[in-house]
Amino acid sequence: MTAPRRSLLAPDPRTIARNRAEARFRAYGLGAVGVALVALAVLLLSIFGNGSSAFYQTYLEVPVMLPEKSLDKSGTRDIEVMKKVTTVGYAKVLKTALDEAIEANGIIVEGLGKKDVGNMISDEAAAQLRNMVLADPTLVGQTIAFEMLANGRIDGYYKGRVTRESAALDSNVSPAQLDLADALAEKGLLATRFNLDFITAPDASDQRPEAAGLGVAILGSFYMMIVVLALSLPIGVATAVYLEEFAVKNRFTDVIEVNISNLAAVPSIVFGILGLAIFINFAHLPQSAPIVGGLVLTLMTLPRIIIPARAALKAVPPSIRDAALGVGASRMQSVFHHVLPLAAPGILTGMIIGLAQALGETAPLLLIGMVAFVRDYPGGLFDPATALPVQVYNWTQRADPAFVERASGAIIVLLIFLLIMNTAAIVLRRRFERRW
Amino acid sequence: MTEQHILRAFDRDLETIQAQLMKMGGMVETAILEASSALEARDDELAQKVRSADKAIDAMEERINEEAARLIALRAPIATDLRMVLSVMKIAGSLERIGDYAKNMAKRSVLLAQMPTVGSAGGSLRRMSKAVVGMLSDALDAHVSRDADLARDVLNRDREIDQMYNALFREFLTHMMEDPRNITACMHLHFIAKNIERMGDHATTIAEQVIYLVTGVMPEEDRPKADSVTSHGVDGAQS
Amino acid sequence: MNDMRVSESAVGAQDVKISARKVQVFYGENHAIKDVDVEILDRTVTAFIGPSGCGKSTFLRCLNRMNDTIPICRVEGDIMLDGEDIYDRRVDPVQLRAKVGMVFQKPNPFPKSIYDNVAYGPRIHGLTRNKAELDEVVEQSLRRAALWNEVKDRLHAPGTGLSGGQQQRLCIARAVATSPEVLLMDEPCSALDPIATAQVEELIDELRANFSVVIVTHSMQQAARVSQKTAFFHLGNLVEYGETGDIFTRPQDPRTESYISGRIG
Repeated sequence: MTAPRRSLLAPDPRTIARNRAEARFRAYGLGAVGVALVALAVLLLSIFGNGSSAFYQTYLEVPVMLPEKSLDKSGTRDIEVMKKVTTVGYAKVLKTALDEAIEANGIIVEGLGKKDVGNMISDEAAAQLRNMVLADPTLVGQTIAFEMLANGRIDGYYKGRVTRESAALDSNVSPAQLDLADALAEKGLLATRFNLDFITAPDASDQRPEAAGLGVAILGSFYMMIVVLALSLPIGVATAVYLEEFAVKNRFTDVIEVNISNLAAVPSIVFGILGLAIFINFAHLPQSAPIVGGLVLTLMTLPRIIIPARAALKAVPPSIRDAALGVGASRMQSVFHHVLPLAAPGILTGMIIGLAQALGETAPLLLIGMVAFVRDYPGGLFDPATALPVQVYNWTQRADPAFVERASGAIIVLLIFLLIMNTAAIVLRRRFERRW
Repeated sequence: MTEQHILRAFDRDLETIQAQLMKMGGMVETAILEASSALEARDDELAQKVRSADKAIDAMEERINEEAARLIALRAPIATDLRMVLSVMKIAGSLERIGDYAKNMAKRSVLLAQMPTVGSAGGSLRRMSKAVVGMLSDALDAHVSRDADLARDVLNRDREIDQMYNALFREFLTHMMEDPRNITACMHLHFIAKNIERMGDHATTIAEQVIYLVTGVMPEEDRPKADSVTSHGVDGAQS
Repeated sequence: MNDMRVSESAVGAQDVKISARKVQVFYGENHAIKDVDVEILDRTVTAFIGPSGCGKSTFLRCLNRMNDTIPICRVEGDIMLDGEDIYDRRVDPVQLRAKVGMVFQKPNPFPKSIYDNVAYGPRIHGLTRNKAELDEVVEQSLRRAALWNEVKDRLHAPGTGLSGGQQQRLCIARAVATSPEVLLMDEPCSALDPIATAQVEELIDELRANFSVVIVTHSMQQAARVSQKTAFFHLGNLVEYGETGDIFTRPQDPRTESYISGRIG
């Protein structure tokens, strides 16, 4: 029973149907990729749209006369004496300087309230000026060019967050202030420029969003990553090598294997509770310290390092082990001379991706107190600090809309770090990948 | 080995070459029988037929050798298969020689037809031929059926041929001594007898090949010899 | 067949190098090798043939205890190398494997330079005292593996960049570098083209002058070409062991006959 011969030139219905099915499937696939790309684009656009302005800041640039009369009554330039002058005193100096500058430039703005001029200067500016003077008391009595941080609302005006309409309803800013700001900008006394302080400065209070920076968070994250790297790389690799190359396959190792896989799936907040119970309540390590955060993140990262490390070891062809054993290498020599170097790119990639996950982890850190408001740079692993993602979380909780911009800016910084780490992973893999 | 090869084309090739060998054997047997009939019946025509049939036998040998060479090159035979191909080549060679003797017999019978008959030599020679043909066909059957016992039997029967030849040899001597005019005819008849005896030897060679094919070892050289001519002190000239 | 014996004895010593008595191998419950008795001669190429899964590779790997790496594998019986039981408690397999080198089915050079590949064995066994000696060993091994002339100008190029046949000869050089007494080869040519195969076969024939070579092969023709002794394994049994010439012209056992002549059996 042979079917009548069909010409190859005339497609048969089954083939047509199969081709259609394939075309449909490709369309679904393309659609799925498209959705993913659009989602990514929307995410990036919204974050960059909100956050890129955090890297710019509005400053008032006026000459500031530092009067000896109010800042150093004794005239001795003794730091201890000068410290008695609080930021209030410096705020007056700044206001005077701004008043004089307005007058000197002949700017007249109607409807300015009594405190409106002074309120245009950020509270932080006085603190900055005080620190500057205390660091160099010889400045007293001189007139210096000082860049005052503008108030967050004025800054918001130049970033589109504050308009005359919203200012009319806002008790913290008046339309007259905005007029004044415009006039100052015209004279070149007010400018918006790149804001390095956002990366380096510590966090600031609710009233001073314009001064808030990521310095402490970045340092805290950095310390934690050092702890995670120093602990999880040796422990993770040793575990993977032992389980993959040396351990006898029995029920016990099976249980360990299953548990490692399960650990990787445990929600990270559980590790936070564990850290709280063990490291803080039991071991009495300080709260908010990078050491505790690092330990908790190490626990969380370990299974995520062990699993790819084992996969990398498994991917090394057995023929290489045979070859080494065949010329009389011991088990350990074959692992350390041949298998491990070949698996290194995979292990490193897993390591970096694990670190990147740890870097972005928030939940467990909240539980061990790393969410605290920290103004001082941590000097070591045991000093209080915060972490980048926690800082993001923290800022999104604050009332002032200026913090939305800060939070998005912090996300951008975090994303850039993650991008750098992932790029490093790819570069490492490319560089060390060897063919066999 | 009755089992089939995994590659069936190999089996077909082996069967083909075996069949060709059997066909050649049949042609040779016919040639011997017809040559002996022609001799006894002084039938010139039959003798001519035998002479021309020999060309076909030679062609057949060539074909078998080619087939064997092809089989060795393409199938790389091993063990039994290798022995099979080797034995076929050797047997084909032997058959070709037998065919040549039959042709020679036919040639001489044409000459003898113009001479007076000498005794009952024609009948004796035909009987001898028949015995040889019997040996030959048994040897070939043994080859087909891989029957070493039958082949050994053929080896033993060579003695009978030798004895028949010895008897004829003495008879021819007597005739020649009686009447020197018989010498020419008797010389021819003697050559014929010698040729038939040689055919017997070749049939023996074939039987030996069968034993090699089946056992992988050549039989020991203790073949029964009953050729007493040399002991008579007379040189049996051979063609 | 007779002249083969002549050429063999011309090589010289026909001492027994490895002698196996009543060897049994179990993989868990599976009885993989049953009662194998064999005597492998010095300076002789011995071929193990047999259908897949017949135990020939398993038995080969018993000879340098490569089976030790498989936890469920158990070996019984005696395997003596020069009269010493290699499964004795006091024998360290690492030392044994330096004496009984191995070449695998797939060329498996380390992803390192050609030089480092060959130097690896001598280095880990501390066979040389200085760089000059090591250089000497590397050159000698590569010469023995008939590879020196092809690679002498690029000793520091990666070994994985060589062609398949060259890689396999590099693996042989690597095995030879530890000055073994026996070379085990597990289907060394199965991944090679005919020319490379011929080169490796020629090399095996040359190695016979110095080593006892045991080769597992699926190619009957290869066994016939390179070996002087052939052992036929079937279902874990050593069915027949003898002169290669005899095995291939008049095998004694019908199972051997069926297998080598390509019949269902």
